[in-house]
Amino acid sequence: MNALQRVAVIVGYEWRRALAKKWLFALVILAVAIQVLIFVVFNFLFTNPPPGMPPALLEGLEQTKPFMWIVEVLTPQGFFMSLIVIMIAGGSMSEEYEHGTSDILLSKPITKLEYMTGKYLGGLSLLSFVAALTTILGVILAIIFFSPQESLQFLPHVYLAIVYSNLVFLSLAFMFSEVLRRTTLSYFSAIGVFIASLVISGVLSAVNSFTGEQLYLDVSKWLPNWGASNFPSFVMGKLVDVPSNPFISPAQGDSDLLLAGVFVAVYTVIFIVVATIKLVRSDVTKKTA
Amino acid sequence: MSSQSVITVSNLTKFYGDFKALDSVSLAVEKGWVYGYLGPNGAGKTTTIRTMLGLLKPDQGEVQITGINPTKDPVQALQSLGYAPELPTLQTFFTGEQLLDFMGKIFGLATQARKERIKQLLDLVGLKEWGDKRIGNYSKGMVQRLSIALALINDPVVLIMDEPTIGMDPEATAHFRNLFTTLSKQGKTVFISSHLLDEVQRICTHVGMINKGRMVFDGRIAQVLETFTQQWVIEAELEEVTKTMVSSLKKLDCVEDVKVDGNKLRIELKEKKDLRGEISSEIFKRKGVLLSLNLHKITLEDAYLRALKGGQ
Ligand SMILES: Nc1ncnc2c1ncn2[C@@H]1O[C@H](COP(=O)(O)OP(=O)(O)OP(=O)(O)O)[C@@H](O)[C@H]1O
Ligand SMILES: [Mg+2]
Repeated sequence: MNALQRVAVIVGYEWRRALAKKWLFALVILAVAIQVLIFVVFNFLFTNPPPGMPPALLEGLEQTKPFMWIVEVLTPQGFFMSLIVIMIAGGSMSEEYEHGTSDILLSKPITKLEYMTGKYLGGLSLLSFVAALTTILGVILAIIFFSPQESLQFLPHVYLAIVYSNLVFLSLAFMFSEVLRRTTLSYFSAIGVFIASLVISGVLSAVNSFTGEQLYLDVSKWLPNWGASNFPSFVMGKLVDVPSNPFISPAQGDSDLLLAGVFVAVYTVIFIVVATIKLVRSDVTKKTA
Repeated sequence: MSSQSVITVSNLTKFYGDFKALDSVSLAVEKGWVYGYLGPNGAGKTTTIRTMLGLLKPDQGEVQITGINPTKDPVQALQSLGYAPELPTLQTFFTGEQLLDFMGKIFGLATQARKERIKQLLDLVGLKEWGDKRIGNYSKGMVQRLSIALALINDPVVLIMDEPTIGMDPEATAHFRNLFTTLSKQGKTVFISSHLLDEVQRICTHVGMINKGRMVFDGRIAQVLETFTQQWVIEAELEEVTKTMVSSLKKLDCVEDVKVDGNKLRIELKEKKDLRGEISSEIFKRKGVLLSLNLHKITLEDAYLRALKGGQ
């Protein structure tokens, strides 16, 4: 057995653990249902546009049609995916402490770092799986109902961008799970940070639209959700030449794309480092539940 | 410490915040021993065990399992160790077989080897019919059994168990006591923490006693009885106890003291000898009518209680 094999065993264990969680399924199904709902709405708009619709909107709608797969694929991003990854990682470490199973796992020939790496990669692979599921579903629906679809060659790019951007909340929840060692607390904290940054960025953007001050928008970019929810659409904005319209945000400047990418990396690294320090420095907590 | 030692704990001190849970605890367990680790609630048994496994970091002192420090090199130190935690809770979403299989994988056992071992172990702990059932549906005692099977999955050289028979029915308790003895006869080293003095006296070769985080005794079972025995006692029940009877018994050379409780006498002997003959003939001489006469040798329990008193 080398370190890699031991990590792989823990990854498999994480999958087994996640499969036992019904609410995780529920959340994924909900995300998928929302995707389908979006389709139904757009499909309705395409086939029988409401008579009173302004011509500008109608035109925008028509321009969006070949890119519906992008709209679809990005639908769960930002909100549902963030919640799903929080649910995946928020109990990863803490549940073992609470149930006392960490004693059983860490009294085996495996180092704490291998154990944690396995747990984290387990979460990451679950995230990749859920992202693949929603991405594939989005593309299939788009191809069936709104063909022809354009720029499909960028599918791998958007997929990777989605997985990458979700590392922020995956790692945040993972960190809380290890540091707080209480699952409920860790869920609440991670969701709290997520909602708080949603609210704050909403307020900042409202203030920006009243005052016209760019500063407010610049500040909101530092919030963890900014990079996490926008990175994939920035990537697509850069790769795909989508005409500006109300349904797809226009291409962003390179600086925002780069900034979003860097923020995702920086937040992820900080959260992982904090979790590692806590795990390595402290005792294995005894069963509390 | 002997180079033979499989488990070596030297001067272990452990704080929980300001509370000193272990105070310079040392012990050594050699190959083939069954070591009973005794102590009252909160003495520090579980803390010692969890520190031995590297789950807790010692504030001072060191632990070696087969010569390797588990905090520094858990992979080597724990490869040939089996551990059954106190009141185990296991992964409820697994079946017994799945959990055993998973643990076998961590130890790097090949698929075929795991399969055979799992079958054998489920049989050994009496869970043959339960292997494919989810652990969530197990009873407390069944979880306990599975936990012992888990501790044996890698055919360990050292077996550490924190109160393994708690929650088991008498039949299972007896079965597992035999199992532990058998395992030690196969050359395995067994370390058991326990409250059950009777259990320790029956199956252990050596005993360590801890109280309030300090070792109060460490040695062979026979030695502990010797060390903490001050005397043997004869308890006699008579139809009637008279003052002359008591004073004549007190005058005997072999008698230290006599205490009276109704028609019962507690005769404390000066020597560790069965002196029931001498005592009964003295009673007959004084025309006493004996209802019962018992020699009370010191048990581990007496020794234990005395050791605890001395350690305070
Ligand atoms: N995580 C902890 N934080 C603070 N104090 C603790 C912690 N774990 C144990 N203690 C304290 O340390 C002491 C030793 O506890 P330990 O669990 O080692 O006792 P024990 O001998 O195993 O007792 P028992 O027979 O009840 O299992 C107790 O006073 C306990 O309250
Ligand atoms: Mg205990």
